[in-house]
Order: sequence, then structure tokens, then C-alpha cells
Amino acid sequence: MTVEIPVEKWSGKVIEVALGATAEEGGTRTHAVTVGGQTTLPFLHFEGAIPYPPRIAIEISDQRPGDWSPLLLEAWGDVVKDPAAWAKAAEEAGAELILLQLSLTKDGDTPVTVADAQAVTRQVLDATGLPLIVFGPGQVDADNELLVAVAEEASGERLLLGICEEKNYRTIVAAALAHNHLVTARTAMDVNLAKQLNILISDMGLPLNRIVMDPTSAALGYGMEYGYSVMERLRIAALQGDKMTQLPMLVTVGYEAWRQKESKVGVGVPEAWGEWEERAILWETLTTTTLIESGADIVIMRHPEAVRRARVFIDRLMGK
Amino acid sequence: MALTGLQIYKLLPQTNCKECGYPTCLAFAMKLAAKQAELADCPYVSEEAKAQLAAAAAPPVRLVTVEGPGHKIEVGNETVLFRHEKTFFHQPGLFVRVKDTTPVAEIKAAVEAAMGYAVEYVGMSLHLDGVAVEAASGDAATFKAAVAAVLEVTDRALILMAADAALLETGLSATNGTRPLLYAATAENWEPVAALAKAKNSPLVVRADSLDEMAELTEKIKGAGVQDMVLDPAVRGLADTLVTLTQLRRLALKKNFRPLGFPLITFPGEVAEDLLDEAAFASQHIAKYGGFIVLDRFTPASAYALLALRANIYTNPQEPIKVQPGIYEINDPKPASPLMVTTNFSITYFSVANEVDGSGVPGWLLVADAEGMSVLTAWAAGKFDAERIAKAVKSTGIEDKISHKKLVIPGHVSVLLGELEEELPGWEILVGPREAVDLAGFLKLWNA
Amino acid sequence: MSRYIATRAIRGSNALVAEAEALLKQAVEEKGADTPVAFPNTAYFLPVTFGMLAHEVNTLGDLEFSLAHAKKLLHPLPEDNLWVPYLGETLDSGMATLLAAEAIEGVRFAYGEEPTLYPGLELAGSTSYPQLNGTGHLNGPIDDIQLRSWGIQLVDGRMPGFAALVGAAHSNEAAVAIVRELQRRNILTFLCGNTNGRSVIDQLHEEGVEMGYDTYIVPFGTDTISAIYPLGFATRSALTFGGLKAGQWRDILIYNKFRVFAFVLALGEVDDLKYAAAAGAISYGFPTIADTVIPEILPTGVTRYEHVISMPWNEIEAETEEERAAKMVQRAIEVRGVKVKITEVPVPVAYGSAFEGEVVRRADMRAEFGGKNSRAFEYLLMAPMDEVEDGKIELIGPGLDTLDEGGSMDLALVVEVAGRKMQEDFEPVLERQFHYFINGASGIQHIGQRDITWIRISKAAAEKGFDLKHFGDILYARFHADFGAIVDKLQIKIITDPDLHAEWLAKAREAYDFRNRRLADLTDDAVDTFYSCILCQSFAPTHVCVVSPQRLGLCGAYNWLDCKASYEINPTGPNQPIQKGQCLDDDKGYFAGVNEYAKMASQGTVEEVTMYSIMENPMTACGCFECIVMVIPEANGVMVVSREDPSMTPAGMTFSTLAGIAGGGLQTPGIMGVGKFYLTSPKFVSADGGFKRIVWMSSFLKETMAEEFKQVAEREGDPDLIAKIADETICTDVEGLLAYLESVGHPALTMDMMF
Repeated sequence: MTVEIPVEKWSGKVIEVALGATAEEGGTRTHAVTVGGQTTLPFLHFEGAIPYPPRIAIEISDQRPGDWSPLLLEAWGDVVKDPAAWAKAAEEAGAELILLQLSLTKDGDTPVTVADAQAVTRQVLDATGLPLIVFGPGQVDADNELLVAVAEEASGERLLLGICEEKNYRTIVAAALAHNHLVTARTAMDVNLAKQLNILISDMGLPLNRIVMDPTSAALGYGMEYGYSVMERLRIAALQGDKMTQLPMLVTVGYEAWRQKESKVGVGVPEAWGEWEERAILWETLTTTTLIESGADIVIMRHPEAVRRARVFIDRLMGK
Repeated sequence: MALTGLQIYKLLPQTNCKECGYPTCLAFAMKLAAKQAELADCPYVSEEAKAQLAAAAAPPVRLVTVEGPGHKIEVGNETVLFRHEKTFFHQPGLFVRVKDTTPVAEIKAAVEAAMGYAVEYVGMSLHLDGVAVEAASGDAATFKAAVAAVLEVTDRALILMAADAALLETGLSATNGTRPLLYAATAENWEPVAALAKAKNSPLVVRADSLDEMAELTEKIKGAGVQDMVLDPAVRGLADTLVTLTQLRRLALKKNFRPLGFPLITFPGEVAEDLLDEAAFASQHIAKYGGFIVLDRFTPASAYALLALRANIYTNPQEPIKVQPGIYEINDPKPASPLMVTTNFSITYFSVANEVDGSGVPGWLLVADAEGMSVLTAWAAGKFDAERIAKAVKSTGIEDKISHKKLVIPGHVSVLLGELEEELPGWEILVGPREAVDLAGFLKLWNA
Repeated sequence: MSRYIATRAIRGSNALVAEAEALLKQAVEEKGADTPVAFPNTAYFLPVTFGMLAHEVNTLGDLEFSLAHAKKLLHPLPEDNLWVPYLGETLDSGMATLLAAEAIEGVRFAYGEEPTLYPGLELAGSTSYPQLNGTGHLNGPIDDIQLRSWGIQLVDGRMPGFAALVGAAHSNEAAVAIVRELQRRNILTFLCGNTNGRSVIDQLHEEGVEMGYDTYIVPFGTDTISAIYPLGFATRSALTFGGLKAGQWRDILIYNKFRVFAFVLALGEVDDLKYAAAAGAISYGFPTIADTVIPEILPTGVTRYEHVISMPWNEIEAETEEERAAKMVQRAIEVRGVKVKITEVPVPVAYGSAFEGEVVRRADMRAEFGGKNSRAFEYLLMAPMDEVEDGKIELIGPGLDTLDEGGSMDLALVVEVAGRKMQEDFEPVLERQFHYFINGASGIQHIGQRDITWIRISKAAAEKGFDLKHFGDILYARFHADFGAIVDKLQIKIITDPDLHAEWLAKAREAYDFRNRRLADLTDDAVDTFYSCILCQSFAPTHVCVVSPQRLGLCGAYNWLDCKASYEINPTGPNQPIQKGQCLDDDKGYFAGVNEYAKMASQGTVEEVTMYSIMENPMTACGCFECIVMVIPEANGVMVVSREDPSMTPAGMTFSTLAGIAGGGLQTPGIMGVGKFYLTSPKFVSADGGFKRIVWMSSFLKETMAEEFKQVAEREGDPDLIAKIADETICTDVEGLLAYLESVGHPALTMDMMF
């Protein structure tokens, strides 16, 4: 019996977005990292193109992150005090992109200044040749102030700047326009909100191939399935030809997984949760692998061991 | 093509006898159309109507039941490729494999650990579904002893794995009163294995190296009288498995291709180097179309992660997980700590609880029964109104635990303020932020 | 197009191009063609020349190409006896002027004559010229770093735009007033030119106004030629922020027209060269507002609205120079289409949506307006632009202080709105916002609308100083903040004077009546566009509401006009226009465009949808419906249960159980969620027999909509129809329903069979 395999004929294609600029392109990165370009659902190689694998970014912070789980601090060791060294360590741990997370304050309560943000960006750029993602502290005024400065400091590097949200995107987009960077657009797990923000940002004149969307992810056990389904819907809409959904997707899995008790703490939790470190790494790994299956193009992770597992998973899915 | 409720109604007796449990034939028909009711519940439906309805309603993926002495698991009956289209109905069975070449005592210990495992997750107790016993020894007596040993320590469902019908039969002889899944019929052994499955009324895994061969084989086995089948397409790599399982689900759903309309079985451990990789691979099979997932490694942490993932993926997107209404204590609250109210939609609860937790401010979180809807939706549907909130305040006895009478309501339902003041005389109603993320800032300003 | 302006601009440009040619010829002779020419600190060469012509000027020799091109754009003066539209010629001349002006500044840089020295002037932040050794100087062109920094603010909207002041103001005082007004509005100010030798730069310098990057006031030069720098800034903005390449001249001009909110204030007498430069600015979409008498150029499409406006300084009605400056800048802003942004509501009580649900009880009440003892109404009307003074709030009649504690008085809130995108149809949409806006103030309660408005002010609010005038402040701030897309200006009258109250009430009632008739005339057949609402897809991902004039949204909150206005306000929002397209079935209401849209917006889940049938491909529902309509096959009709009705229905299910079947974005023939006003529409399930099919209806609906239903019954030719419809006080099961219908002879029993 010959079974006729159903093949979907999608009309749409995910836009290719290149992060980082080499010397030739006006930056200093050793190479650019491209995502997108798919013409079918994740890893269905038999019916379409999957030109690039999902990319792993590792999150580092400008300040020693006081609220991180001891497991993470232990895993990275001393480098967490030195963003440049941390970036190098992240590269060695298998990162293809570095996320530099800026803080609101340093040493407790003095605000991080424009000069601080520029200096740390420069240090990280000097320390690694990987393309850089920079997120502001997540507070509107500080984001706008610091990211504009960072954009200027790294002019031409094609950084991915974040996080643009509907309530605050104009300044970040303007900075990206001025200095040839990209932005990430976050919306709250909703297809239409995602589309709307993409429209608003591209209306400002930023080409779609400089926008990555972040449909908002949640950790395993904490509503991950919502993000999972919204990502599937976005990707299906993109393949059906809906232009404003055809952007690559980014998920902050490390942040999400490590703020949950399962990963964060080792005491005062049910015995059935098992061994702490194993559980914590599994939590980040499974959050990552599942969202990769639903279409994530960039996964921002935290623990080197979870990164190693995600790498195995991605390589196998790409047929390596 | 699925029938609409009105089309089904025409086929029903239209007597409104109510014996199906629904008030009218139309209500019943609409429930049938939504696949939320069974036709068998109607005692008076005509044979002709039954035939017409059954043809339209036959599930594209067959429902297969595997039973142990004390538990059973049903897999199949799926109707969509993506959970957002409707929902995934039957969670894949998570099984742990033991081999009969392992000493009996170790087998028992392993099975006891894995099957004795249970973990609490949003008010549910989650556990694994059963044990796969493999006749790795090739020796009938050893296999039988291993099966017997497993059944001594668990009453969950079994999968018996052996190369030929004789071995399987010996294994089966130790499983009286249960309905294990037999593994596996192949092009070489299908005749005796199918005969055994038919004789014992056992569900049967069919393994073939290509979908063409698989479809031929299932037709033959069906011809031999076996209906309940499970497919092993014999691919193990992560990429190939995703592609093949997707193709099989599509064939069943989109082409209504009956020869391959069965649940699927996977073995992620066979290509994994250790526990963490195996769990990662298994995560794919949970999300993408696995029906029975046979694990080779077990730890409490990996079981918890996989069970939570399975619960997440198989959550009905149209009927979200609810949390138990009541009072939740966060950061060890004192009588003077703030009291906030929200709905019992799990995501709403988690967002609020996480933000309060993260703020470091101790607080009382009152979760009202809003039928599992988020704040705005529940409000729009009248499930989170002043009356319900007041009821939650009064019924939980929170008044005895706190020293103040101030209640913070979500900013999105600020319109309830006036009504709430009427419903809760003597209380001060405060309007909190619209979004949970702004709670920390709000709470910092609190002084009760 | 003004022939006068055309003549003068063409003459001005001819002269300047000739001057530039002569200057360049001399420069090449004196210094050689290879002498470098560059503006400081920019990667854009001479930016206007680079942007328009993709020509990189590096040397004096390179300027020959620029001027050759400028010459090609020159035209002869219009003949006295031949009248043609001169727009094209004028714009060409403007562009020639810009190329020539930039060439002249280039030559000056080659000679070291730029930036212009201005001894005694110390700029607060400027492009640095180390070679000047600290001698006072004007700024010259803006450097790239400053361009990016300001550009970001212009692009993200923190800075509304820039103004180029050319010439000299009426007086020093006037100059300061204008600049202060621009600063107050966060508008970047560029200074150039002179009038009879005096420049606005001189005026500000004399008055001690600090100039420089840090104060957002940049003095470029004291001749009109330096007006090229603001346009170089504009050109580079398009290249930097618009992602455009040199040579895309058309796109660069369009970018500026739509995204760079700049305008020219021509101060003092306008000479030929100023006309020529203004013509150049018009190409960028930048209008000119002159403080002298000159001919005006009204809209022709190059700039967004008017091109040239005359506002003679002495004729501006005002008491002070500040007021005059404010009016002139306000006018400029309107002409350019810059929107006012207001973020705070200036009232003495707390303000926010958190207070929307507050109730002011009689005991806590300072005063009330409307209700039993007085009459209050609200009326919003559209008015011509020049009849509305933005921000004017008048209290006409006795104030709150004349009222006893707990007293009551007549009140009218009349809002006149002007806006270039305002339509009369939006009046009721905006008027309904009064309720939400006013309720946002702590201690104020607002109920009702139109002439049944009922407002209470609490004692607490009055003690904090809340007065009647604050209603105006609230409305002013909120309309600008929330409806800025269609509201450009508004003025508010708060009327307590009895005569005026009566007069306006009559006008308002006439308008209400007109609107009612307008709504009645607004039929599905009369329009070619419906609107979508996909607000609820966050929880019902496949639900698509299609809102037509005769079928409002199922939540009851959005009718067709609301959706239309919502789309104007937020073009990327949840309400999108749907072209009806070909009508495929008149009766059931199948439209090609609606099907196409529903399929797209439901991600393929809903393939077809009828507008007027419950039996076939009915519209989906989210969960927000006001009522549920469900077929009762036994009665050959439908029942309608409202959200407020908790009782059992003849369908054997209560509202909440039915909601589970009707909602969720699934098409379920036989059941449908609707807005209650759809029940009164002639298109209510018209394919299935219409209103006469209703055999049972929640008594809540019967009571609250008695008036509307009475009219429907008459329309249906059966005045007793409503009484024939059962409700939960009559029966809650099918058997009882059938008995009742038989007893009253309900028409559904004899209509065509639904099945």
C-alpha cells in the first residue's frame, strides 16, 4: 500500500533577521547570526525550508544579579561580577548571542547611569565577537535613557534592543533607527496584540527585518501552554501569509524558568520535586525545548548545563 | 464532515424525554456536536440515526484502553493537530521500562519507586501510568517472573515487550485480570501475535519500518480481528520522530486515513545518553503527538517536570485550569497585611501570587470562585461581581484573620467599588493596579 | 496658487542661483576647483544636495554640478496676461534656491566664513569650531551626533517638531514671546535671516535669551541663505531615520511631509529670497506662517493643509505679546497638523479609572445636577476650526457656591469640537465618553447620557476644591489624550444660566433627534463598509465580530459608528474596515468581503458567515454578549435570554449554561450571542423570519426596552406582538411555552417551518 503523505503548501515565509554587524557591515562582530526564513512549521524538513536553527542566547547582567538562584551564581562562579569575563564564559558555554541585561541600580540604590550603560556595553563588545542583545531595566524612563545611550555607543553594531512594549516603544525604535540596530517587540500572549505592535513599530519606519517579536513566555508549570499556543498560532498565521506575523520569535526562557520556586530554591519544597539542581536544569531545559517546538527562534537561557542540553536537542532536530 | 447541532437534532427522537440528562433534544444535540456528550446516552435513538451519526462521529484516532489491576489509561480520540484548535483530549501514557535481565529485587525497587511516585500540581495529584516489561532475556520463565514481580508491587497498566508470540503469551499468563498493551506485531510475526491479541482481547502495538508497510500491516491485523492498535513507526531520532508522528496525525485527521488512525508509541530513552536528554526528548513527544511514551530512566525531578508538561499541554485552552478558591497566604502575612482579591483562573492566580511573592510584602490573597476565568472575562460574564466577591470574603472567614477591613480589588474592575461597598458594609474597598506587574509598587505604599 | 507668490519666488531663486554661480566662479578662480568643501561633523556631505541629487560635494569643483542642476529648475517669470497654475514652477524654483543656498554656504566654509562670527555670543552647547579660538559665533549646520539625539526625540514624539524663524519679530518682546511659547511646547527652534538688517538672533541676544543646543534654540545665521541648515537637518532626518538612500528625493520629501512636523515662521517683511526659500520648505511639506500681510496659499496637497498663512501681528486679537505669540504658534501647529499632548487631568481630586465605580450617596452629596430635582444634559457638537478656541472653558451662570449643601441645579455641558478628521457622525461616539471621563474623578458620580444625565459632586470633592469648571478641565484633557486623532481643538461651555440652558437644551434635543433619525437611516444596504471587532480574540481566538449599521456588536458596546471612529483613532486597532464586496445572498446576508475577512481573522476556522441568520453559518460569539438567542424547534421560533436573567428558560438551560454553548468563537447554528439592540433591527434574523420568531424573552428585556419593542411591533404590523411573547414569569419550559403560544395565537406557530 502506498500512503500519500499530506504536505502543507504554505504561502508565507518567516522574515530573515540578521543580528550583529561585521566590520564589512559597519560593526565589529566576528559574524552575524541570522534567524527566520522558515517556510514550514518547526523542523518539518520534508515540506519546507528551515535555513537556520533556533539560536541560543545566554543572559548576562551588568551587575552581579543579587536575585538569581544560588545554583546559577555557583554555575558561573566569579565571572558574574565582571560582565566582560561573563560574556567570554558564556561564549565558551555555547552561546551564539549574548543578552546583556541592564540593571536599574548598582550597589543597592545608586542608579545605573548612561555612562555606566555605555561602558558595560563597550566592555562586552570588546570581550566577545558574538552579536549582542541589550535589554533595559524594564522601567520606562530608565529604558529610554539607557538604551538610547547604548544604541549610540554601539552605533552600527545591529544590536537587538529591548524591550519594546505597546506602552513604550517609540524611543527605543527611534534609537534603533538612528544607529542601525534591531528591536524586540513584546506583547502579552496574544496574536492580535503582537500584530498591532509590529505594525506600530514598522509604521515608525523600522523595516520588518529589524524586528523580533517576543510573544511573552511563561515557565513550565506556570502557564507555558498559553505562550506555546500563541506562538503556534503566530507561526501558522505567518505561513498562511499574514505579513505582520512573519517575524522571528524570541523567548526569555531563562528568566521565566529561574524565577519559579522549582528552580530558584532548594529548601522548603515538597520532597516529590526531587533533587534541586537536576530539577532546576530540567525546568529550564524543558521550558526551552517545548517552546522551540512551537516556533521559538531565539531562546535566552541562563544555566550552562541547560544550554548544553538545549544544544543537543537543537542539533538533533536540525538533523546533525 | 462533522454535523452541526441542528443537523443532529433532526436525527434525534425530538421527544425531550430528558433521559439523556439534558433538558431538550436540541441541547443534547448541541452537546453531541461539541463532542461533549455520547450518543449512547440517548436510549431512543433509531438504528438508522445511530449509523449516520456514528459515521460522522467516529474518531479519526482510535481510542485505545490499557488496563492494569487498579488503573487504566485511555489514549487516542484526538481531533486536532494544534491544541488551540480545540484541545488535546487524552494525555499520553508515561511508562517506565524494566528489563527482565535485571535482578527481580532491583526490578521491584525500580517499579516501586516510579509507580509509588506522586506529586501535587495545582491541586491535582500527578503520577506515571505504568510499566513496560521487556523480555530482554528471551527466556519465557524469566520474563514471566519479571512480569509477576512487577505486578506484585504495582497495580498500574503494563506494556509487555517481547520478540515473539510465545514469549508474549507467557508474559500475559502472569497478568490475569488486566489488559496490557502487547509489543509488537511486525511483518514477520504478525499472524501469531495478532491471534494472541485477539484471543486475549489485548491492544497491540504494530511496528513497521515505513508507513506503507505499516498501513498494510494494520489492515491485515484488523482483518484478523484486532481493533485496538498502537503504532510504532520504528523511527527513534528526534527529527525523524517529529516528522513521522506529525505525518501520522495529519493522515488520521486530515485524510481520515483509517489504517493509520491509531495512537503512537515512542521510546525517547533509546537515543538519549542520560536522564536529562531523555526528558528533553520526551518533552517533544508530549507536545507532538506521542500516545504512549516509554521512559528508560526515572527520577522524581524528571517525573515532575514531564508530568507538569503533560498537564500543561493537555489543558483545555477553552477551559483553563482553575485553582482552589479560598485564602492564600503569601510571605507569611500578619493580621495587618493587605488583603487582595482575584479570580481562580490559574494564570491570573499565578501572576498575582508571583508578583506579591516577588515584592516581598506579606499579603493575603483571596481567590474568588470565578469559574476559572480571568478578571476581565469573569467580570464580563458576571462571574466576578460584587456579590461573588462579597461571598468569598464572608465564606472564607478572612475577617477573623485580619485586623483591618480593607480589600484591594483589581484595577480592571474598579466599577465594582460602589456595589462592593454596599455588599460589604464597614469595609473599605481599595482599587489596586490593573496589571499584576504593578502590584509590587502598589503594595510598597500599603499601610494598614 | 498665488501668482504673486510664484512671481516673487521665481524671481528670488533666479537671483540666488545667479549669485551662487558668480560666487563659485570667483572661488574656483581664487582657490582652485580642488579646494575642499565640507560641513563640519557630518557624514552627509552637503545634505540637501546629497539627499536630493545623490551628489557628494567634496570640493569647490563638485559644486558646479549642483548649480547646473539648480539652473535646470529655473523658470521664467509668469507673464502678466497668462494665468496658469504656477505650483510646479514655484516648487522647482524653491528647490533651485535650496541647492544654490547650500552651494553658497559650501563656498563660505571653503573660505572659512562659516560659521558666521558673532562676537559676544556664547552658545549653550554647539558644534565646536576649535579654529575660532573661542570667538563668539553662530552655530552653522547641526552635526550628526546632535541630529541623532534630537532625531530620536522627534521620532519618538517627545519633541513635537521644529520651527524655523526667519527674519526679525515685530519687537524684541515679541521675539522672546514666540520663542518662549515654542519652548513651552517643547518645539525645537531654529533661527535665521533678518529683516532690514535686524535678525531675530539679535533680538534674542539683546534680551539675554540663552541660545544653543542645550536650550533647543539654534541660531544658524543672520541671512536667509542660512535657512538651508534647517532643511539640511530635515533631509538628514529622512536619511537617518527613514532608512532612505541619497537620491530618493521624492521619498525624502514625503518622509518629511508625514513625519517631520516643522513649519516656518516668516517674521517681518517677506522679500523675494524669503519667498523662494519658503517655496523650498513647501516641497518638504513645511508650511509658512507670516506675521505680515501676504497672499495665502490654501490647501493643494503639497503640505498637509494650508501652505502659506498670513497672520499680521498687530491684527492678532490679544492683550499681550505673549498671548499673540501663543495664538500664532497655535495656528502654526494647527496648520502643520501637530497634535497637542496632555497627560494629566488638572483637577483637585484624584483622577483615574479606579474611581469609575464610585457611588456618591445622598448623605455625602454636596450638590447634584439632574435626577429628580433638576435637569442636566450633555451635548457635543462639531464646529468649524476657526470658531473653536482650543482650551476655552466658560462657566456661564451661577456657580457651585450659590448652591446650598445637598442642593440641586440645572446644568449643561456643551462641548464644541473641531478637527480635520472630525465627522458629524462621531458626535454621539464622543459624547458618550463624558460618562467615563467624568466618572474618573474621585468623588464625582455620573449616570446617564444626553438629557437624562445625572451628576453628583461629593462633599469631599467639593472640600478639595472641585468646582463646575473642572468638568471642563476633565473633558478637555481626556478628549485630547484619548481622541487626539480626531479632535484638534475643543472649547467647553458649562451652563447654569436658566435662559441659556433652555436655549441649548432645545438645540441639543434637536441634535439628539437628528442623530436618532440618522441612525435609523443608516442601513446595511446604504454603506459599502462594515467593521470588524476582534477585541475579544485574546480569549476567544477564532471569534470575529462583524459590525454593520443594522447589527451592532454582540457586547452592545460598539455600533457601526463607534467602530468607524475607533478605526480613525487607532488604525491598527481591533476595529478594521471590511469591504462588503459582492453580495452573495441578499436574504441570509452572505458577503464576499465578510467571508474573506472572517476566514482570515479566524485563522481559517470560520469559512463563511451570515449576517442575518441563526440557522446557517451564524456569527460566532466571544462570551460578552448581552443576550443569547436560541432556536426552540418545538415552537418554531426563537427565545431570547438576557444576561441579567438568572431563571430557567424553555431551552432547559439558564443563561450561564447557554453561554458555554454560544461562546468560545465557535459557529453553532441554532444559537447566537447578540447585543440587545440588534433585536429591534429590521435585520434581526431576517432570513429566518425576523422579530416575529421571538416566542420567549426575559422579562428584563421586555421592561427595559418596552418603548423600542413597541415600535418594532408596529413595524411588524402586529401591535400586540410583545404581549404574545412569553417570559420567565409565564413559563420556563417548552410545554408551558407551547400552551401559552397557542392561547395567545403567536404568529410563529403559523410561520414557515424553521426545520
